[in-house]
Amino acid sequence: MSSKKGAYESNASDTDFRKKFDRAEYAAKASVREAAEKEESKARYEAKLAGKKYYKPLTGDEILTSARASRLDVSANVGKMVLMPAGAATGKRGRGAGFYCKDCDLTFKDSVQWVEHENSMQHLRAIGQTGEVQRATASEVRERIERVWEALEEERQQDVKSLGERLKVRQVEEEQDREERRRKRKELAERKLAKTEEEARIKLEYGEDVRVEGEHDEDDMMASMGIVGFGSTRK
Amino acid sequence: MANHRADEKRFLDERGSGGPLAPNGLNPATIMEKPVRERIIDCYFWKDQCFALNEADIVDRVVVHVKFIGGTYGDAQRPSPFLCLAFKLLQLGPSDDILREYLDFGGEKFKYLRALACFYIRLTRQAKNVYNLLEPYLEDRRKLKRKTRMGTALTFIDQFVDDLLTKERVCATTLWKMPKREILEDLEVLEPRISPLGDIEDLLESDVEEMDGKGRDKSPGSEFGEVTPEREPGEMDVDKGANEGQTMEAESEVASGKV
Ligand SMILES: [Zn+2]
Repeated sequence: MSSKKGAYESNASDTDFRKKFDRAEYAAKASVREAAEKEESKARYEAKLAGKKYYKPLTGDEILTSARASRLDVSANVGKMVLMPAGAATGKRGRGAGFYCKDCDLTFKDSVQWVEHENSMQHLRAIGQTGEVQRATASEVRERIERVWEALEEERQQDVKSLGERLKVRQVEEEQDREERRRKRKELAERKLAKTEEEARIKLEYGEDVRVEGEHDEDDMMASMGIVGFGSTRK
Repeated sequence: MANHRADEKRFLDERGSGGPLAPNGLNPATIMEKPVRERIIDCYFWKDQCFALNEADIVDRVVVHVKFIGGTYGDAQRPSPFLCLAFKLLQLGPSDDILREYLDFGGEKFKYLRALACFYIRLTRQAKNVYNLLEPYLEDRRKLKRKTRMGTALTFIDQFVDDLLTKERVCATTLWKMPKREILEDLEVLEPRISPLGDIEDLLESDVEEMDGKGRDKSPGSEFGEVTPEREPGEMDVDKGANEGQTMEAESEVASGKV
């Protein structure tokens, strides 16, 4: 009962057939590749005799080349100290210090060599492009003008919006500032008032004469004449 | 319709012979001088931003990268993006329909696109078309920045267009010797130019007439009547009626003003 079987109820040895199949396939592939390589080297040789550069023949699956959406991104290589051996030529095979093309597995020592490579037929063929560019019609040009204009307008509106938002935030902040200043002024005034009231209270407590101008003129006159009133002047 | 090549190699290979010629009979590959061409195809902006462009991509590149007009600038005599894109136009050879989009619809929005199209038209079109296509922009007062070896200066589209029509060398490029407007008028290749300010001869003449005490025998607007394009017979009555009404109003206003 407890025989060990795989999840698909088959023995591990069942996979033996694959090896046989693979071998046959590899052999077939290899012979095709060899034939292709032979043909390529012949074509290379003929191109060289004719003084031309050899490119792999087009398969018909290539797509047209089109303009870069933005600048080539060299930032990945910025800030790295790169020491290149003297006389390092273009296109060092494999990944190395410098500008690397992953499609062709080549490394270039500077951005100019790299962009030249990206534009080269060798690279374009490697990424399945023809190196030809679709013409634009007048109406396509007009559409592009509209699109670029609209994109810029949108950007401008966003700038205006963010400016508006910034202004609003500043308005709120200023209002808060004013409120704070108002509160402080009020506090100060209240403290001053409390202080003067306190001083007045203390003066009164110590029996010092708290005079209101004119109020005691009569008493003063009588005093200066040697007459002193009875008790408090307050009625 | 054939595709463009992404790079300039074939375009420059055709400079000897065989390549298509510009409408003015020049070979577009040799319109710019050799040292300038070499500077252009050597510069990074050309390799990076002018590769694989078509006529529509020109618009993006102008809007993003052209911030001044000029040929080569600075001590290093770097070719300006303006010059590089003019060279790309020489390679692409855009049709008149496309140039009108650059000039008019695009030119209203993007002044450097108009400036670039004007420059390219001056290099490749027949004299008659150069005058007819460029002269309307002698009224475009928008500012342009201009960079030379000496530094940066301010100019205007109308000034730039005037330079293109009258100078021998603009933006590091020798302009082909175009016959003067007067000669083309005498040959009846060109109609006399009607400036929005009015013809200078007419203005001077009318001054003389007024000093002589003679009134103007032309009714105002009659000179516009002469250049009104032909209309469809069906529409004619309606339009004419409306126009006559306006003219009469205008005349009576002038008349009452003079009394
Ligand atoms: Zn590559």
